[in-house]
Amino acid sequence: MSILDYHAFREEQEAARKAGRYLGVGVVSYIEICGLGPSQVAGAVGFGGGLYDSAIVRVYPTGTVRVYIGARPHGQGEETTFAQIVAEEFGCPVENIEIVAGDTESTPQGWGTYGSRTTATSGVAVKVAAQRVKEKAKKIAAHLMEANEEDLEWKDGKFNVRGSPDQAKSFADVALMANVGWNMPPGVEPGLEATAFFDPSNFVYPFGSHVCTVEVEVETGEVRILRYIAVDDCGPHINPMIVQGQIHGGVIQGLGEGLQEVCVYDDEGQLLTGTMMDYAVPKAAQMPRIETDHTVTPSPVNPLGVKGCGEAGTIGSAACLVNAVCDALAPLGIRHIDKPVTPARVWAAIQAAKQ
Amino acid sequence: MIPATFDYLRPGSLLDALTALASGDGTKVLAGGHSLLPMMRFRLAQPPRLVDVAGLAELQGIKEHRRGARIGAGTTYRDLLQSEFLRDRFPILAECAEHIGDRQVRNRGTIGGGLAHADPASDMPAVMLALDATFNLRSKRGRRSVQAREFFLGPFSTALAQDELLIDIVLPPLPKGAGAAYVSQEQAASGYPLAGAAVVVARTRRTMSYASAAFAGVGDMPRLIRSTDLLLGTKAEPETVDKVVTAALEGIEVTGDIHAPVEYRRHLATVMLRRALETALERAR
Repeated sequence: MSILDYHAFREEQEAARKAGRYLGVGVVSYIEICGLGPSQVAGAVGFGGGLYDSAIVRVYPTGTVRVYIGARPHGQGEETTFAQIVAEEFGCPVENIEIVAGDTESTPQGWGTYGSRTTATSGVAVKVAAQRVKEKAKKIAAHLMEANEEDLEWKDGKFNVRGSPDQAKSFADVALMANVGWNMPPGVEPGLEATAFFDPSNFVYPFGSHVCTVEVEVETGEVRILRYIAVDDCGPHINPMIVQGQIHGGVIQGLGEGLQEVCVYDDEGQLLTGTMMDYAVPKAAQMPRIETDHTVTPSPVNPLGVKGCGEAGTIGSAACLVNAVCDALAPLGIRHIDKPVTPARVWAAIQAAKQ
Repeated sequence: MIPATFDYLRPGSLLDALTALASGDGTKVLAGGHSLLPMMRFRLAQPPRLVDVAGLAELQGIKEHRRGARIGAGTTYRDLLQSEFLRDRFPILAECAEHIGDRQVRNRGTIGGGLAHADPASDMPAVMLALDATFNLRSKRGRRSVQAREFFLGPFSTALAQDELLIDIVLPPLPKGAGAAYVSQEQAASGYPLAGAAVVVARTRRTMSYASAAFAGVGDMPRLIRSTDLLLGTKAEPETVDKVVTAALEGIEVTGDIHAPVEYRRHLATVMLRRALETALERAR
């Protein structure tokens, strides 16, 4: 509401009404259940599978890393996000990390990408597996530097011995020594890899509030979206651009549904909107610029604190738009219009209200 | 989405094209292909042969003609939009062409192709009626000219005979100081007008001396609006404009569809006409 400057908008709306123009503001708040979820719940509700997810983190002698994940991203950008999780843990360039998904011959059992769950499940498994790798790397680094493990600290992408700054081992140094196995600590196997299966103790609950302003042309029923403001909370952002992209995509999907997308059938059940000539998927020119902002409330149920953002934008946006249209037309006594608010429907609602 | 089998012919000259059309076997003319090809893909049209006229020099060119203009039927919407001459003399053409399709469609789609296709929802036919254009047609049998106002016969139906080709479009000069406007509201999915109106008006010493208007997308074909005659001899006072708008749909059957029920489209048509009239009157000197 402060991004919009709500009170200023109400004044603008009042002035516009006096000039015969109809502006409106819509507000929506949502809370979502996602990050599915505890496998025990899956079993209890009769879902035909588990809801944990998984990752294998394998480090090669050169320090490059291949990560096999149980989920299968299809456009959500997790190949990037998950590589960032590993790069941050190992202090290595993100280009050194390859994410492998969808090849069930090599990937661990997982339960897929949907329901805004993947980062909060498979992403967390990546994090846990990477932590396990790092614990082992720390043991090896301590052994190589003839230091106590407790005296090691991870700083600037290296294991350093406290108090002797010239002694340090990078992650790549350890990767090589672990993979050749020449000088391993007693009882530690050569190699550097770990597997993690992460089964969350609960769902995650992202939430947010959206604000939309519109102008309705009462003569034709046309709705023009003036501003769309989305403030969401999906916990910490690993990749802010991807989060923003997910929000944008979700909002557009919802606005399309609210503004113009509709399946029409005739009396015989024949679909009349079966082509792009009749079914109005939103086009860039029909959509507003989307203003995004966020708060960060980490989830307590996973070590990354992350929640989902894939569906966040869609949940409230259709309702937010229709609320704004109803607010614009409130002086005419209109309190409800079924979505989508096509020109014909809005005009019909205005005519009905006049009678 | 795969068309039925068809033959494809790309004649090197207008004469060859006319010869191919004269065979009388249901051959269809292909220009930009943005209307015909989708119909063929849906198998709403299954012509045995296409004659591609897109490359014919005889169908190109925008020229001054008897103080008006002559526009080759093969002129793309892009070329219409880029013609300084047309923007200067007939800016309503650009105002209309800007609404047609998207950039890709305007790069390939031709004015002649669109007019000959005569989609009842298309924009340009109404502009042709308002401008009182004349279409030059040719076949192996000879040449003839048909007024735009006689050319459109129904949905996808024109005065063109099976063997005839639309060669060019002749626009008479606008009256001195004329103002023109095309206004439409687009359907969100297709971009075709839910209703559109083209208006040309002119004054002589503050009195209306010329008025011509047509609707696009309101029914089975573009429709000339007769009620603009009410403007002639008046000063186009608001009451007169009201009368024109109120009477505009007399004798015109308005079609309803899933995007615009009849009642809404009737209303929308009058709104488009009023806006086009007001804009054209402002533009008239």
